[in-house]
Amino acid sequence: MWKKFKLLGVMLATSLLFLSACNGGTETNNGSNSKNKSEVNISVVLKTLSTPHWKYVEAGAKDAGKKLGVNVTVVGPPSESEVMQQVNMIEDQLSQAPNGIAVAPIQAATVISALSGKNLPMLTIDTDSDFEGKLSYIGSDNYSVGKTAAELLIKKLNKGDKVAIIIGALGNPAIDERAKGAREAFKAAGIEVVAEQPADSDKAKAMSVMENILQTHRDIKAVYVGSDDMAIGALRAIKAAGLDIMVVGTDGNEEAVKSIIEGGLYGTIAQKPYDMGYLAVENLLKAINGEKIEPRIDSGLDIVTSENAEEFLEFLKSLEK
Amino acid sequence: MSQVLEQKTVEKATVFKKSQSGLRKYLSKFGTLLALFLLFVFFSLTSEKFFTVDNLMNIVNQASINALLSLGMLLAILTAGIDLSVGSMLALSSMLMAVVTVNLGMHPILGLITSLGVGTIFGLVNGLLLTKLHLPHPFITTLGTQFIGRGLALIVTGAAPIAGLPLLIQFFGTAEIGPIPFSFLLVLVVYLFMHTFLSNTKTGRHIYAVGGNKEAARLSGINVDRVLITVYTISGLMAGLGGIIMAGRVNSAFPLAGLQYETDAIAAVIIGGASFFGGVGTVWGTAIGVMIIAVLRNGLNLLNVSADLQMAVIGAVIIGAVYVDVLRQRKRKKNKN
Repeated sequence: MWKKFKLLGVMLATSLLFLSACNGGTETNNGSNSKNKSEVNISVVLKTLSTPHWKYVEAGAKDAGKKLGVNVTVVGPPSESEVMQQVNMIEDQLSQAPNGIAVAPIQAATVISALSGKNLPMLTIDTDSDFEGKLSYIGSDNYSVGKTAAELLIKKLNKGDKVAIIIGALGNPAIDERAKGAREAFKAAGIEVVAEQPADSDKAKAMSVMENILQTHRDIKAVYVGSDDMAIGALRAIKAAGLDIMVVGTDGNEEAVKSIIEGGLYGTIAQKPYDMGYLAVENLLKAINGEKIEPRIDSGLDIVTSENAEEFLEFLKSLEK
Repeated sequence: MSQVLEQKTVEKATVFKKSQSGLRKYLSKFGTLLALFLLFVFFSLTSEKFFTVDNLMNIVNQASINALLSLGMLLAILTAGIDLSVGSMLALSSMLMAVVTVNLGMHPILGLITSLGVGTIFGLVNGLLLTKLHLPHPFITTLGTQFIGRGLALIVTGAAPIAGLPLLIQFFGTAEIGPIPFSFLLVLVVYLFMHTFLSNTKTGRHIYAVGGNKEAARLSGINVDRVLITVYTISGLMAGLGGIIMAGRVNSAFPLAGLQYETDAIAAVIIGGASFFGGVGTVWGTAIGVMIIAVLRNGLNLLNVSADLQMAVIGAVIIGAVYVDVLRQRKRKKNKN
């Protein structure tokens, strides 16, 4: 029994030591940031920090913090499905009384009760949510993401050509909007969408979905895919079938951009995650200083093709440092 | 029953042997409580916002869902079993509650009954599958139903969340009495009830007996199947209640709710001193286990430790706690010989 206590003690001591090390790290960080005497603390709660898209948002927010002289804390759950953990994180950030908070809700509805009516500048990024006291939503418009992608392809297509659309999970409003934007743009240009299927934002699933589409429609000329991961999967199926079909993805992540350089994907539509993070901190600071901010801020889109892919890749790499 | 008595005498003998070193006995008995206390001291020293009424209420509020799931898990683990389906049951019950109240516009009380009922029936099915189909271990049964439950929760609305629940349901997740969250008071009542159930009723004692030695329990006339079915049904009921609190807190039900919550529940029960070998564990130990996890998560959040690192820390704590269990088990065997 004595052993048990000793072990617990050792366990705790180790974890505490470990933590003090981490905590020490945070403190020095704050120290270097607080050159500015007016201490402003901004909290940013993202959907997760574990995927490239959110790493770029984090980088943008932190860079803005450095440049503008405010302390920026960026947190997020281990995966985009941890809805409750995100709510807990929002509460835990709020209990530290930050001067402003930006949230990218995993689900629009779930963050409302945690944030509603709180007395500090608040805004949403990437995904909007309606709660009392929200000042602004910063993000790109998913409908125009799909539309821009379709228009990029339309330039290379002729009237009457056939195309396919692969989207994410059914019921994800962001991706539904992208599909809608693409569908309507294709239709307006007189191009026929012969297949539109979900692939659950999963690379392997996108590959089999594409294989299935090619079973019946070997004559399609182009595919729009709702995320880069899925686009890479779809491309693999196309190459395996020995066909030459243009694929445009969405997100602008590193793997996709490299694929564009190597002549794989035709292009990708990049939301500007870095800008989202940067604009969030910049606008929160404005609001904290009593300035009025726009209720809807468009963070814009980048169209990446073989023309600018090299340059874009360098930009992505600079963010990873 | 004789097995239980024997075990009790063995435990008494151990206590007697140890009584010459009162301090050690005290420390080992309250080891987890001490760990919780040390965590409190550590986080209070490192974060000025930790030991405030607001934050402490935050912690008990955040702990309430895991507290309920852990109680069901405790019962399963007491019988040397496990219930991997708690998170799925929570998701399915809260989704169906939302369908009944929001989509079908029925009375909120019907919604509450739906959530509790769906959880209970799901748990009952777990118990029946385990005992009537003679599946080899609840790990397999509940792993299967975990997927079934999650799948059904996704199918209900085609993966879409349902927002805008009636006020009565929101009340369960957000109401406060003074500074104290209602959910916390509810959990306290459930814990008191469960403590009484386990220590003062025949079924409660049978649960320990089945976990201590299933064959011996059967030979001494205990209806093992009925005990197991009761255990898994209660676990389902707890998940249904957890579903109400979760949906109430965020004012929406979503099919991925409670994803991997079984891990936190298992961790809380094991950290709280229950044994994977069955027959050992208490409601209050589990309460301390739940609080240790909640305090760890909240404290690490306040220190802005990244979520990835938090997972690693909690994983290490779980392994440590299970290792303590193994040592304890070895000691018990030694004492028997």
